[in-house]
Amino acid sequence: MDSLVVLIPLLPFIAGVLIATGGLTGQLKGEDSETQTAFIANWAINMSCLIALTLLGADLLHKNTGGLSLGSWLSSDDLNIEINFITHGFNVSLAALFSLILSIILRFSVNYMHREAGFHRFFAILSLFASAMLLLVLSGNAVGTFFGWEIAGLCSYLLIMYAYQRPVATVNATRVFVTNRLGDIGFILGISLSIAWTGSVNWLDLKTLVADLSTSEATAIALCFSLAAFTKSAQVPFTPWLSRAMEGPTPSSTVFYGSVMISAGVYLVCMLEPLFEKAPFAMAVLIVFGAITALHSYWVGLTQTDVKSSLAYATSEQLGLMFVECGLGYWSFAIWHLCAHAIVRCYGFLTAPSLMHNVKDNPIKPINPAIAKLQWAYTASLQRFWLDQLADWMLVRPIRRLAHDLSYFDEHVVDQMMGMPTPTINTISSLAEFEEKLLGAHPEHTQNPFSNGSGIAGKITSGFASIMHWFEDRFILRGIGKDALNMGRKLGRTANKFELLVLRPRYLVLFVLTTLLLAF
Amino acid sequence: MGILSLLLWTPATGVLILIFAPSQNTHVIRIIAHLFTSLALLLSFWVLHLYQQSSAELQFNEYFPLNPNLGSAYALGVDGVSMPMLILATLLTSIALLASYPITNNVKGYYLSILLLEFGLLGVFLAQDWALFYIAWELTLIPLFFLIGRWGGKRRHTASLNFVLYTMVGSVFMLMSLLAISQYDLQQAGSLMTSMHQAAKDMPRNEQILVLLGFLIGFGVKMPVFPLHGWLPLAHVEAPSPISILLSGVLLKMGAYGLIRAVNMLPEAAHILQPLLISLALIGMIYGGLLAWRQTDLKAMIAYSSVSHMGIVLLGIASLNQMGLTGALLQMTSHGLVSAALFLLIGLLYERTHTRNIQDYGGLIYNMPRFALFISLALFGAMGLPGTFGFISELHALIGGFQQWGGLMIVFSITVLISAAYAMRTINLLLLGPAKTTAFNLMDLNRREQAAAGILVIGIIGFGLIPNPVIELSAATISNMITQISQRLL
Repeated sequence: MDSLVVLIPLLPFIAGVLIATGGLTGQLKGEDSETQTAFIANWAINMSCLIALTLLGADLLHKNTGGLSLGSWLSSDDLNIEINFITHGFNVSLAALFSLILSIILRFSVNYMHREAGFHRFFAILSLFASAMLLLVLSGNAVGTFFGWEIAGLCSYLLIMYAYQRPVATVNATRVFVTNRLGDIGFILGISLSIAWTGSVNWLDLKTLVADLSTSEATAIALCFSLAAFTKSAQVPFTPWLSRAMEGPTPSSTVFYGSVMISAGVYLVCMLEPLFEKAPFAMAVLIVFGAITALHSYWVGLTQTDVKSSLAYATSEQLGLMFVECGLGYWSFAIWHLCAHAIVRCYGFLTAPSLMHNVKDNPIKPINPAIAKLQWAYTASLQRFWLDQLADWMLVRPIRRLAHDLSYFDEHVVDQMMGMPTPTINTISSLAEFEEKLLGAHPEHTQNPFSNGSGIAGKITSGFASIMHWFEDRFILRGIGKDALNMGRKLGRTANKFELLVLRPRYLVLFVLTTLLLAF
Repeated sequence: MGILSLLLWTPATGVLILIFAPSQNTHVIRIIAHLFTSLALLLSFWVLHLYQQSSAELQFNEYFPLNPNLGSAYALGVDGVSMPMLILATLLTSIALLASYPITNNVKGYYLSILLLEFGLLGVFLAQDWALFYIAWELTLIPLFFLIGRWGGKRRHTASLNFVLYTMVGSVFMLMSLLAISQYDLQQAGSLMTSMHQAAKDMPRNEQILVLLGFLIGFGVKMPVFPLHGWLPLAHVEAPSPISILLSGVLLKMGAYGLIRAVNMLPEAAHILQPLLISLALIGMIYGGLLAWRQTDLKAMIAYSSVSHMGIVLLGIASLNQMGLTGALLQMTSHGLVSAALFLLIGLLYERTHTRNIQDYGGLIYNMPRFALFISLALFGAMGLPGTFGFISELHALIGGFQQWGGLMIVFSITVLISAAYAMRTINLLLLGPAKTTAFNLMDLNRREQAAAGILVIGIIGFGLIPNPVIELSAATISNMITQISQRLL
């Protein structure tokens, strides 16, 4: 049964690649092929879902061995990373749940996305995302999980940018992607530290590996991974990306930010349970950030007027609570919370477009008047506690200024010294330039700019090149080649002359006479 | 008759049949030539298939004594050093034929010469006897003289004369070295190459050095090593482009191949001459690179870049260690593919526009996207960009050199920089920018041309991504050589 696990992420991946190739080659195009695309995507995810459920059943009947290794992916020196999968427990249940949610959402999207311009693109990306997400939860080592993590992040970027013609969408997508990259730093650091200190990143051996770690080492690794988890699950101070991410189509918002991808952070922390148990400080960090996020999201959620934003803040509030549960050590409670929340939120998001219709005669309860009167709280909530502005002020602007200064340095110091690459176009770019050239007003154009470097390094290079050119031309090409030929020709001519001279009759007679004289 | 004889005599049979072919019917002539070169290509692949990688010994040996007094014999054999060269020779000849369709005057003589040239090339790489080697070496000269002199560009007569004179002078030195060794006791059984290998051991040190210097001049002219490269720019520029492919793709490798054999025979002398070899290599690398940077003629640019790239080969050989020698051999193969691809593509471009001046071009990417793709990939290979074969070979040579000389290799990095400069500039000027008048109404590569360029480019990229097959092909032979060399040096 164990080997079935490979197919779970593989099938949606194949579907994604098929749809993408079909789209690129023009096979799948327009409204006519929508059924084909939908069929491929749905079939793949349904099969994965069935396999995942089968695997779950087998696990519940204790038929699974717990892991499957497909051999080594990378091995150098004492570092050995396998391609392996986990086939029991929490991971399999989560894979079954996620694949179920994904197959429901893909089915939902068939009608929802009907006649959209990017229908095929949407399904290709969503299939790829499904594969990445299932790899994330099933991979037996941190590197495999990171692969899924990154591809899922990339897919989220691509789907936020779904309407790429709108500038807001692209700006938001970039912002979300960059924020998520911050978390990747944590993930990569965590992986590298675990490799450095324990020599392995295998989830299956986590318990034995953690036993050898000291508390400070465990804390460092745990903090790195919690940074990754906080960004992925939109905890304070990374919460703002979540509301920006709502730009994408509703089904993708559901799957990414309502139930599946956003849970990846909590999943990661739950996987690392033995590590966190060893690092009390990291547990405390989980509680603090989780609690702050829960409060913050609750507060901001009070003033949201559109459905998707309020759902987003509700999501991050629940996730904050899950982190608190993890921090307090109620691991299995957090896992149950994660699963239940995924289902509920999926329903919430999918019904969001028709919410206005459903709540027509059932208005939302007004907020408790005691809170409603606090004016500063209202402003803070509307401004979402200025987190976005804070990030701009603390990170974006200093970096922009630094980039500006570096660019100045580059233009005025480095380019002067090292020279600039020759412009692609040595031709005339404007009419004025053309006229100037006609008038001969371009003294620097009179000499051939072909092999002239700019800057100090360029000048040195062209100087050397001219010296060598002179050497080549004078000695090697003319010296040996031409002069030798000329010399040979001259020598030949002299020899010819000599021969002609010798063969004159008088000399010939003289020759014969001398020979005869000598002979006798 | 062994498989190697079969391979060697296939082009010769082609020559014999071509002699009786009607000279008017160019179609038949082309078909016959293609038939025999493809046959040789298939045979060489068959040899590759049968070849045992793990064995360092000579394989498929054939031995038939010719002149017992002198000890010369018709001895053929293949080892890890000659195997890649063999494939390169047959492959590039086939590709050169694919690029030969524009030749229309005196077609029969042209194809005759090419087949004769292939015969000579195969002889050089298959011979396990110095006498046979020398004969084959000289045999390549005759067809090349005619190929450059009859079908070449404007200054073809000077070019062919220059080429022959240079090579003749070089081979005189090589012959003197061979004779100098054969003075010694040659009683050993086996071919002249093995017995001379034994004899060379007993030579006094100073004579060994003189002999190696003779070899260095002989092979260095062909390779070419820095001050002996005078024939190369002229010959490459003036030769028709299929011949340029063969010249830079295979002919230059003959010199490097011979030098590897000579160094293997005289390691003590090589060890003493190491400073000379390395300085020639480094000077050649920078010199060729800088001159390539200055050339406005595209073919001259590739010709000088060949000088630079063959400097890397010499560097690898001079390092006298496993890594360096592997690097030299890999660089021979990769440069064979890269320069053949570049000459092929530039030749195809020249056919369309009849100018080789780079400043006449611009914006080719609009009309010739496939050409643009191929030439960019080939230039990336020339630059040694990671992911191309050039990178693998340069890396090996660099590591080999670093093990031997350490910090001196900083000169190597300057070469890499210069080669990047001219390669990128070529891409810029040729492909980008506004389309110039020469770029209008150009036909993109047709199927045949795509196939020819595609094979080479796939080789460049494929071996860059999966270099292990080529490395393992010669690993056993090279490690055996290095063991022998280090035993002698102790």
